[in-house]
Amino acid sequence: MLKFDRKYILAASAAAAAAIFTAGCAGDSAAPAAKNADNVLTYANGKRVIDGGRYYATVNDKRGPYYVNTNAENGGYAYGRTPTENELNAWNTTVTPWRLPPEGEGTVEEGEAVYEAKCVMCHGDFGSGGGGYPALSKGNAYDNVKTLKYQRTSPDHEGPIRVFGNYWPEASTLWWYIMEGMPHPDTRTLTDDEVYSLVAYIMNLNEMEVDGVPVDEDFVMNQETFAKIVMPNKDGFEPNIKGAKATDDVRAYYANPENFGAQKIAAADERCMHDCQKPTAKVTQITIEQKEFIPPLSEVRDLPQEEGVSPAEAEAKANYEQNCAVCHGAAGMGAPVFGDKAAWADVVGKGMDTVYANAINGINAMPPKGGSDLSDEKFKAVVDYMISQSK
Amino acid sequence: MRNENSQHVAENVSAERRNFFKKTAALSATAIAGAGMLTGSRAMAADDPVIMNTPAWGHKIGYGVTKNRYGLPSPYEHNVTRRNSKLLSSGNWQASIAMCPIQDLSGIMTPNGLFFSRCHGGIPTINPNEWRLMIHGLVEKPLVLTLDQLKRYPNVSRIHFVECPANGGPEWRGPQFNSIQFAKGMMSNAEWTGVYLKDILKDLGLKPEAQWMLAEGIDSSHMGRTVPVDKVLDDAMIVWGQNGEALRPEQGYPVRLLLPGWEGNLCVKWLGRLEFAAEPFYAKEETAKYTALKPTGKAIQHFYANEVNSIITNPCPEKPWTDLKKGDLVEIEGLAWSGMGTIEGVDISFDGGMNWVEANLKGLVLPKSWTRFSFMYKYEGKPLILASRARDDAGYIQPTIDQEVAVMGVESVYHRNGISSWEVTANGEVNNVQVRSEVKAVDGKMKFVGES
Repeated sequence: MLKFDRKYILAASAAAAAAIFTAGCAGDSAAPAAKNADNVLTYANGKRVIDGGRYYATVNDKRGPYYVNTNAENGGYAYGRTPTENELNAWNTTVTPWRLPPEGEGTVEEGEAVYEAKCVMCHGDFGSGGGGYPALSKGNAYDNVKTLKYQRTSPDHEGPIRVFGNYWPEASTLWWYIMEGMPHPDTRTLTDDEVYSLVAYIMNLNEMEVDGVPVDEDFVMNQETFAKIVMPNKDGFEPNIKGAKATDDVRAYYANPENFGAQKIAAADERCMHDCQKPTAKVTQITIEQKEFIPPLSEVRDLPQEEGVSPAEAEAKANYEQNCAVCHGAAGMGAPVFGDKAAWADVVGKGMDTVYANAINGINAMPPKGGSDLSDEKFKAVVDYMISQSK
Repeated sequence: MRNENSQHVAENVSAERRNFFKKTAALSATAIAGAGMLTGSRAMAADDPVIMNTPAWGHKIGYGVTKNRYGLPSPYEHNVTRRNSKLLSSGNWQASIAMCPIQDLSGIMTPNGLFFSRCHGGIPTINPNEWRLMIHGLVEKPLVLTLDQLKRYPNVSRIHFVECPANGGPEWRGPQFNSIQFAKGMMSNAEWTGVYLKDILKDLGLKPEAQWMLAEGIDSSHMGRTVPVDKVLDDAMIVWGQNGEALRPEQGYPVRLLLPGWEGNLCVKWLGRLEFAAEPFYAKEETAKYTALKPTGKAIQHFYANEVNSIITNPCPEKPWTDLKKGDLVEIEGLAWSGMGTIEGVDISFDGGMNWVEANLKGLVLPKSWTRFSFMYKYEGKPLILASRARDDAGYIQPTIDQEVAVMGVESVYHRNGISSWEVTANGEVNNVQVRSEVKAVDGKMKFVGES
């Protein structure tokens, strides 16, 4: 399959022989290499680990590689307090399939007005999307369920539509999204009636029905009608997460790697080491390269260019840091402190000719040019920089 | 005796110094001009001027300890930063992601300022004194904690990666980014300090019918996710510490949930509320985003663990081999990780995953953590397709792209852990490539073109 196969195999096989030898040696000392025994894939209660992965039991005060203080794990802590009823109600505002929204109502028409005022700038006309924000509708929700089998295996293939109407399994999620997350720049500012109206409007955009009744302009969304919404793709998800045995269903689902595209081996030596690609596989290069990286990729080690700072200013700053900051950077050295407006106003008050002359020739404890080797011109630029930063 | 000797030595040193100053004064002014000081007068072409000359930092006094009270990297490292792309963002930069420069990291710890950052409603600035955690629902004793009260619980520190399940997600249909930072940078690794949630729950009386926990943020997006109680009672943590200091705002300051190995978005940041229930919550992003659509038309919901994965970090597109010469011995290095266990081994391929040899692991090998691997290679200046394949102690091994696509198709967005490969050209440049077959979808199944 791969064009360069033969020479790769030659290059790799010598290394492979070395690696097999090493693995053979390691195998003797690390006996557990034979494992992936089932008992590490279950919790202490004997139930399978819910995500299909490992469980690390506590053995001799160690959990996996970590020591633990098991004395800390017995409870007995009395920190904090019981929340008040009002506090619970204030924070517990989420709407779920088993917890209806609060009382209120709104129509499609009202929803359109709210949408035009608060949503259209990001979600586009009639929920068509735009500016990088999600579309809220792509037409008839019931028709679009069939698109969920579409795969963009090549640019001329259409992909699946995944908007609220044809994809989401529960209408409660829409209420939650609008109430808790919208409008994006200032959330939790909509009234319950506004949320009802937006739910109605978005369902209208998705050409949906409630209990056989089309959600048209004067449709009234309230607790009663909201409770009757049945989403077209409600059975489109796996594993099952509803009912008293839900977590067992999830457990069973992830116990089978084939459900989620994973590969499992019973022991390390079962893995494929040679001829591991399908005959149809080939090297695929980037065709449409995405290279809008902010900031652009760079592995160069250099000094940063400050935005809006000219190279001359940057040089003056660097010269200040190198030659002057030791004495001018902090109080107590007897020099006017960098950034001290009053002190520098006094300095400038002597007249710039005097300031430059003192700086170049030295004054009091300051040596000529601060002890630097800079030209007069460059040193004046440093003086200018220090004054400009102390105004 | 001893004192006399010391004094004698001191006098000699002083004499030498006086001598030195005389000689220095004798040098002409031009000899000490510029950034450097020539230590010898006969510099040859073969001599490296940065060795022959003393640079400014070698003789000018440096800055004081009073500067940068919270330290900063050298300004010369300014290109080592998180990066973002409009392709991976909503219209503004407030529901977006910034990628970790994994090409520039060493070891397994990510500096906090480089930790990848994903948010749904911008990064809030939360006053920790006004932060509260509420735990309620199917517990006998609901609870409100302040930050100080939370930190009174006995703490544990654990090293774990956090990975967005969309890491590598833009490349289901083929390679797009000639960059490791963008191909795999939606993850980072840190030492987290906090309390096991199960230790708090011991005193709250979790009711037997509780199967699920909602974790909800207090930022403007109020990100929520449903977590099975299994994970809560296993290794779920509420954390406030990240690599020895407080969580960064980008990672959920003051407190986040940490579900070791699981999708980053499940590790709810800016955590405020935990509610226990018998039925799941269908939280706001739970189906809107974090579900993986299969070619059958069914989507995986509650897709928890990031599966075993690996990537070669050296070489990579950002760190090519263009400076190597034939015969150079060079280390091939990379990162492996699994949200389902501990890395057990990593294999390297030079021919795009056709044949494999075992690499060495190096450094700490910890559960649900980045793990370094290493392979010594004699560079021959020939084109290669380098690939890595990790396996974990739960028995999982990275699938080939074909194996993964056969089940998941090309539309699932999340949880892509198929084998990654780099093309190394004859002159040492490194490009992102994939080794895969052409596929098409037929009746809800993926078919390989050219296969009967």
